[in-house]
Amino acid sequence: MRTTQTSPTFPLASVKPLEGLVRYRGYCLAQTRRAMAGRGQRRAHCPVDRAILEPCGAVEGLAYVRCPSCGSLFLADLPDWSAWAGLLAGVSRYRQSPATFHADLVQSRADHVYAPKLEWIRDTLRLQQMDHPTLLEVTTPPSPFTPLLHDSGVCAAAFTIDEMAVAHQPIGPADSQTVEVAVLLESLDRVDDPARLLQRVVERVVVGGLVFVTGLVVSGFDMAALGLRNLYLYPPDRTNGFSLQGLSALMTRAGLELLEVSTPGVLDVGVVQAHRQRDLSLTLSAFEEQLLRANPETQEAFQTFLQQQGLSSFARIVGRKP
Amino acid sequence: MKCLIFGYGYMGKIRYRILRNHPLVSAVLVAEPALEASMAEAPEGLLPAGRPAPWRECDAVFICTPNHVTADLCVEALQHGRHVFCEKPPGRNLEDFCRVAEAASNAPRAALAFGFNHRLHPSIQAARALVGSGGLGDPLYLKGTYGKSGGMRFRENWRNNPDLSGGGILLDQGIHMLDLFHVFLGPLTLVDAMLVDAFWNCGVEDNAFVLLRSEQGVPAFLHSSSTLWKHTFRLEIGCRDGYLIASGLLSQTGSYGREQLVIGKRQFEDEALALGNPREEVLYFDRDDSWEKEVNEFLVAVQEGRPSTHGTLEEARRVMQLIRDIYALTGSPTATSR
Repeated sequence: MRTTQTSPTFPLASVKPLEGLVRYRGYCLAQTRRAMAGRGQRRAHCPVDRAILEPCGAVEGLAYVRCPSCGSLFLADLPDWSAWAGLLAGVSRYRQSPATFHADLVQSRADHVYAPKLEWIRDTLRLQQMDHPTLLEVTTPPSPFTPLLHDSGVCAAAFTIDEMAVAHQPIGPADSQTVEVAVLLESLDRVDDPARLLQRVVERVVVGGLVFVTGLVVSGFDMAALGLRNLYLYPPDRTNGFSLQGLSALMTRAGLELLEVSTPGVLDVGVVQAHRQRDLSLTLSAFEEQLLRANPETQEAFQTFLQQQGLSSFARIVGRKP
Repeated sequence: MKCLIFGYGYMGKIRYRILRNHPLVSAVLVAEPALEASMAEAPEGLLPAGRPAPWRECDAVFICTPNHVTADLCVEALQHGRHVFCEKPPGRNLEDFCRVAEAASNAPRAALAFGFNHRLHPSIQAARALVGSGGLGDPLYLKGTYGKSGGMRFRENWRNNPDLSGGGILLDQGIHMLDLFHVFLGPLTLVDAMLVDAFWNCGVEDNAFVLLRSEQGVPAFLHSSSTLWKHTFRLEIGCRDGYLIASGLLSQTGSYGREQLVIGKRQFEDEALALGNPREEVLYFDRDDSWEKEVNEFLVAVQEGRPSTHGTLEEARRVMQLIRDIYALTGSPTATSR
């Protein structure tokens, strides 16, 4: 197993500015409430280890529960899967519309968000000596990553499938084709049944094939510092907030052998900083206050430490089907 | 398969641990004259001191001895038709090595491999996957630093007795880096070298600075040292489209630091605002299975009746010829017997 680090080279504002995020988040929360419409079912058990979930607070009135065992957070109530699938599809379309900050930052996000992910996949395939594999992108279309993936030449063929359909619909003959690589970019963060989705995906990967997963992890610094006050935590994009331990265990329980567990995030300090600038009354620990007052070199060194020690809130994991 | 280990020092213990757990190995015997069965550190399978080598009781032999007996034991084992795994260096000098090579040519059914495990370290394996068609393009240069600090009893170590070792730090540690240069660049020739015995005054070099050139003209520079007060392993590989820096070693003591590989891509102004400061990825490795891989490959080669794929006679010859050339060029006292 190995961990990796990416040098910090871009600010939060260039990929996920807090003010823009707040507007987008408001839309997501409203759509989530509409999708629930009193039809929510309480989630009782952690999808990682079946531990009984405990209440831990709410995000704008939407309750979250916490796993006492692995520390992961989950949106407490979910409607039936078709309503959730409709919500994810609607939010995905909205994200691609001119109304969101994503539209203003297309190039910057391509450079700083998607290009490094492509490079990560490409380098990992080289290290595992996999040449132009068949690849399954698991997402709720449309995804800005899809065209980049197709143009990259990383894989011989790339198929994109709907994550909610994979998790819930019967597998038809057309879906039974196996692939050498599956990619789930923050997919496990938003689906209603991440364990089932991962299991279904692993079934479609050949023995020796790889599964790439990215996600926000609540064990990371900005999540740990801000908790449910973190504006980057909201449904449906962050329906599930795994801890790094929880996400790793989820993949292991799906039968994968982990090759890489990394937290190469570059924005933890920037996220806390942005929250402080937005809300001067925000309560932070004395240590966090010191960190925010420190010079950029100190903050950068701290971010590097978070990356190296698995303590950033952006996680990348690669698993191999043995 | 029954194995016999000659020497139960640092390397002998490593080989013993691996062989004892290997599914192809049914028994491990150890010949170590400095140990008696009554001693606490004596391993199971230790042969009584003075007993002749039980050639008929073993299939494969691991030579983990000081350099002055390495070649004799290799030759004897090959003459008995045993398969031989020999630690680096393969003798004190090229003459020693040539005696081993000749014995090997007279025993074509015996497998022979030499211990160059660094090429199997995870950072080096990852680097091999990334150079050339792996994405970073062909190498432009290699620069390797490998060194240790010696220690209070360093002068007394057999490695610094030229009669026993045949050379200094270049032959002891630098040989690994020379082997890695070959892995990435193929055959090399000597351009220039400077050896000094500046601190330890043992009659062998404590620092070697060596400039080499590949057949394609790619330069490689080695600094091998026993006066690096901070233990260092660092291999820089500059390529047309990026660079790699392998550093640290997952050694038993951890004194060389965490093993890692920095991967940087070349970015000019059209790709990055910060010219000369590209985004880097650092791979950290937490497990070194190079020893296991090396032994496994040798044992499987024996079982399958084929030559071992690494640590071959030719690979050993290349580094020993280079070391001979370096000692000859610099007029090192240890070159006089060459």
